[in-house]
Amino acid sequence: MAGSAGGDRHRSRPGLVRAHLEAIATAARRLLEPPMTMPIPDYGDARVPGYRGVVLFDYDKCIGCSLCAQICPARAIKMYRVPGDKRLRPGYNVGRCIFCGLCTDICPTDALSESIVHDRVYDDVPSMDMDPVDWAVWSRRVLEEERKPGRPLLRARVDPERGLVYERVDAEGGPVAEEKGEER
Amino acid sequence: MDPIAWLSGSLGVPYWAVRAVAAPLVYPGLAAFMVVALFIIWAERKIAARVQMRVGPLYVSRRLGGALQVLADGVRIAFQEIIIPVGVEKWSFVLSPILAFTVVSLAFTMVPGGPGIYGFRSSLSLLATYAIVTLTPILVIVMGWASNNKFSYIGAGREALVSITGEATLLASLLAAAMMYGSMDFVEIVEAQMRSHVPGLVANPVAALLFFIAALLVTDRLPFDLVLGEQEIVQGPYTEYTGLLFALSMALGYAKLYVLMLVFTHVFLAGWAPFTSPLLGSIAVFAKTLLLMLVAVFLRSVYGRMRLDQVASMFWSKLFPLALVAFVVSALIHPIYAP
Repeated sequence: MAGSAGGDRHRSRPGLVRAHLEAIATAARRLLEPPMTMPIPDYGDARVPGYRGVVLFDYDKCIGCSLCAQICPARAIKMYRVPGDKRLRPGYNVGRCIFCGLCTDICPTDALSESIVHDRVYDDVPSMDMDPVDWAVWSRRVLEEERKPGRPLLRARVDPERGLVYERVDAEGGPVAEEKGEER
Repeated sequence: MDPIAWLSGSLGVPYWAVRAVAAPLVYPGLAAFMVVALFIIWAERKIAARVQMRVGPLYVSRRLGGALQVLADGVRIAFQEIIIPVGVEKWSFVLSPILAFTVVSLAFTMVPGGPGIYGFRSSLSLLATYAIVTLTPILVIVMGWASNNKFSYIGAGREALVSITGEATLLASLLAAAMMYGSMDFVEIVEAQMRSHVPGLVANPVAALLFFIAALLVTDRLPFDLVLGEQEIVQGPYTEYTGLLFALSMALGYAKLYVLMLVFTHVFLAGWAPFTSPLLGSIAVFAKTLLLMLVAVFLRSVYGRMRLDQVASMFWSKLFPLALVAFVVSALIHPIYAP
């Protein structure tokens, strides 16, 4: 089929038909080969012990001692009066927070805890400044996201022989059954 | 059970009228075309990627290999603002892509999608389809002219040259095939091939090859993507278009390719050949058309681009004379299709 056209078009170059067929065959052969490029690894970062992200607040555990507001070096935590509540409760301004974790250390009832996220997106600057109720609701949402990761999690570990090693882990930080180390 | 008969019975509309509306809207018309376009554009990107040893579209619907990427792009385009630049001829700018796509869709009334599945049957349906498809360059030229942009204008000029160049060969190869079958009716052409058990591709390979190459030219496929010419003139006549108008102008090329490959299926691949029932026949026609379109988009990753003058000289001095050879072949071989 290609012969009739190609042969007629360039009589002086008899190899042209073959050239066309070879070009098509080469492309077809390449089609069946695996790609050389690799997909971007679609992994999240697993919780690292001692990682300091945004501070989460559990309203029910809070006793309203206001120690967190006193210790906060960036004045990210302020005490608020909540309607229908006798005690003052802490509110949180993510924009001011320096993620030092002092508030979580000093909290006597562990009402404050650290998450593994610090890179969240906010609609505007005022929405970064949360009152106690907003903070508690928001903390629950962040915790849920943390517990249900949308993609597989990887944890970096320094191996004495292989250098930096990435391991699959589950949401709690335990190793996944089909443990496969992946080097990047 | 015949859905068209059921519809015409329940609506109280004559059978032919329901068929004339259903063919361009459902199959082989717009609904089928949407599926084909979604698949072919994805396949085109994926094939080009694999030939270049890349992965290709992947992240939208990872499990399907990125098959919904085109759908996502379509949704994005649908919500994009349609910008009408200040300097454009407003009504021609807006209406010409709509009209051009409408004109191509009219071809679906003429081309059968399977045995008994067509809008109208006419003894000149082959010629009518050709006439409808070749109306679109005029509207593409209007697009380029109305855009008030030098890239669009150059693209429009190229469209004029390309359509004249390609359509001469296209028509010559079609007429050679029609001469071979002694008919210009798609149904009769397919029946002639089924009667003799010789598809047109075998009987007259010259005409088939010429039709395929000319179809690549008039639908801006590589190696002849002169009108679109991304490396030189941005998007040719479609440069200024955004949003749904851009989608329409992009779909125009694929719709033309779909129509022409349907025509190729009927004229050279014996249409619904092994089957005679409407359902199986339609599937056969659809599969053959899709295969042809895959070959057409596969060639994108094989060839480089040709220059304008190279294309013109190749078509006028090499392929068009070859079309006359196709006539000779048809004249010699036509007795095998005699009723």
